[in-house]
Amino acid sequence: MAILKKITGSFHMALLLVCSTVFLSAQTSVTREYQVKAAFIFNFTQFVEWPENSFSGNQSPLIIGVLGQNPFGSFLEETVLGEKMNGHPLIVKYYNNVEEVKSCHILFVNLPETNKEEEVNAALKGRSILTVSDAPGFMQAGGMIRFFTKNNKIQFQINLEATKYANLVISSKLLRLAEIFTSGKK
Amino acid sequence: MLFKDLPIQKKLMGVIILISGIVLLVTCAAFFTYEVFTFRQTTTRQLSTLGEIIATNSTAALVFDDQKNANEILAALKAERHITLAGLYNKEGKLFAQYPAATLPGAFPPLPGKEGYRFENSYLLGFQPVTQGGKHLGTLYLKSDMNAMYERLWLYSGITVLVIIVSFLLAYVLSKALQKRISIPILSLAETAKAISDRQDYSVRATKLSNDELGALTDALNQMLTQIQKQNLEITSFNQQLEQKVTERTNELQLANKELESFTYSVSHDLRAPLRGINSYTKILEEDYVDKLDNDGKKIIEVILRSSKRMGELIDDLLAFSRLGRKEVTRNDIHMDALVKGVTDDFMLISVKNNIEINIQPLLPAVGDQALVKQVWVNLISNAIKYAGKKTKTLIEIGSYPKENRNVYYVKDNGVGFDMKYYAKLFGVFQRLHSNEEFEGTGVGLAITHRIIQKHHGEVWAESKLNEGATFYFSLQTI
Repeated sequence: MAILKKITGSFHMALLLVCSTVFLSAQTSVTREYQVKAAFIFNFTQFVEWPENSFSGNQSPLIIGVLGQNPFGSFLEETVLGEKMNGHPLIVKYYNNVEEVKSCHILFVNLPETNKEEEVNAALKGRSILTVSDAPGFMQAGGMIRFFTKNNKIQFQINLEATKYANLVISSKLLRLAEIFTSGKK
Repeated sequence: MLFKDLPIQKKLMGVIILISGIVLLVTCAAFFTYEVFTFRQTTTRQLSTLGEIIATNSTAALVFDDQKNANEILAALKAERHITLAGLYNKEGKLFAQYPAATLPGAFPPLPGKEGYRFENSYLLGFQPVTQGGKHLGTLYLKSDMNAMYERLWLYSGITVLVIIVSFLLAYVLSKALQKRISIPILSLAETAKAISDRQDYSVRATKLSNDELGALTDALNQMLTQIQKQNLEITSFNQQLEQKVTERTNELQLANKELESFTYSVSHDLRAPLRGINSYTKILEEDYVDKLDNDGKKIIEVILRSSKRMGELIDDLLAFSRLGRKEVTRNDIHMDALVKGVTDDFMLISVKNNIEINIQPLLPAVGDQALVKQVWVNLISNAIKYAGKKTKTLIEIGSYPKENRNVYYVKDNGVGFDMKYYAKLFGVFQRLHSNEEFEGTGVGLAITHRIIQKHHGEVWAESKLNEGATFYFSLQTI
């Protein structure tokens, strides 16, 4: 793992993917899936704008949080290591429950119990936190981005009403790739 | 036809058209070059702008590894029909998306090249890095054909050709109209000069059409004409004066000549009567009183008779000479051969010498007074016989040859000849180069010869060396 860290510390993400394939070939395909998702989460930071007041200063970190069980292992940390978004260094934090979430910019929600997502989203409502999850009912529960697999490719849905409400600006480039989710209310 | 031999109007037009043509061509060439240069610059800028837009749009597709979306973005290039090829490489340098979709990957460079655009084989192609937040995500490859430029250049060529044709026509029409301002004064001047030299009419004056150098030339020509006219007038009046003087002098001379001739005639005529008296009475004295005279007396009578006979001959010659002055010359064809034959035959008959050989060449015919010309032959042949000298054989050659528009006749002998230093006296009246004791004669023969030939507008001359014979020549008009 020490070697892996060294490599990821200075190499591109794709190289890391190749390397991880070599070194982690013993691991299950679920881990491979989360490697891609980790990269996606990192890439979201490049196409989403947070309001100025969500950062305490110019150098203050952009926090990526994982709520609940961590499916990435150390992968997410390795991905964002040394990376920056507009001068904000990226760091990863792990939370067990939503009350622990204080200052956060992206939150990956991975709770084992179902129907908890609505609770979480309600708790975070009005805060500029981009919520991301795999959970099938996540969008209906007021979540912002949901990963899903189609044609053996990982894709994502975006809920624009939610992001707008949270004062987050999603780049049109990102929207072009995403499936836009609209709530049944309309 | 060489340019320098062309009429001045064509020269002027030629120069104008040539200059405007060259100026047009140079302008069009410069315009063309500028157009090509600007068009290449513009095309490069447009392609690089397009590249930047596509590159910016494809960042998300690259990072989220969305090939389909990337292809869609590139497919938007369809709107720009000059883009023949576009490819998106990911950051590993692998072809990730392409346009048109059906293109074989072999058509693309295997690896992205250096950033920037360049012209290659009538294509404009280049690589544009795709970055997001300062991170290199991949490379965009664009290839555009230059058909747009060629279409435009063709259009410009057409316009240029049209402009050149129209300009040429315009230059032709304008030069044809404007060259007249220069050429017409020159041509009118040239016409005037030609009219003057053709008709020799120096009263003509050139019309001044402008105040430039041509105007000055016209003035100068007119001044020259005035001077020539003035001088001509002076020359004419001088000529008239001269002619008048000549006529006066000629009349005077003719009068004097006539007086002189009538004087000579009357003198010679009047001298004959007393001479006849002397002669007859001396003869009576000789016949009737011969017994009463001693030998000295008889000798004296002989001397008187000889002297009076000689005086008679002198008077006859003088009369003949003076008659010649008054005689009108007739002009007939003369057959010289027959004429000379008659003369020489007469001489051979009466000659006391028998060692004479006369060689007559065929003679050219001439025009003149037969009797007078015969007299010339008689004089010259008799001279040749007379001055044969003491030679054992007298050789006389008679011949003729044409010279210029005259026929020249000659009589050549091998006699005593004469010294050329006395030539000036040769044809004078009563001038003799030999004493009477040596050769008898009155010294009128050659003077008469000279006079006759002069009356025929011919010439007479002689060549000789003392004791080496003499040749006498005379020329007459041909038939």
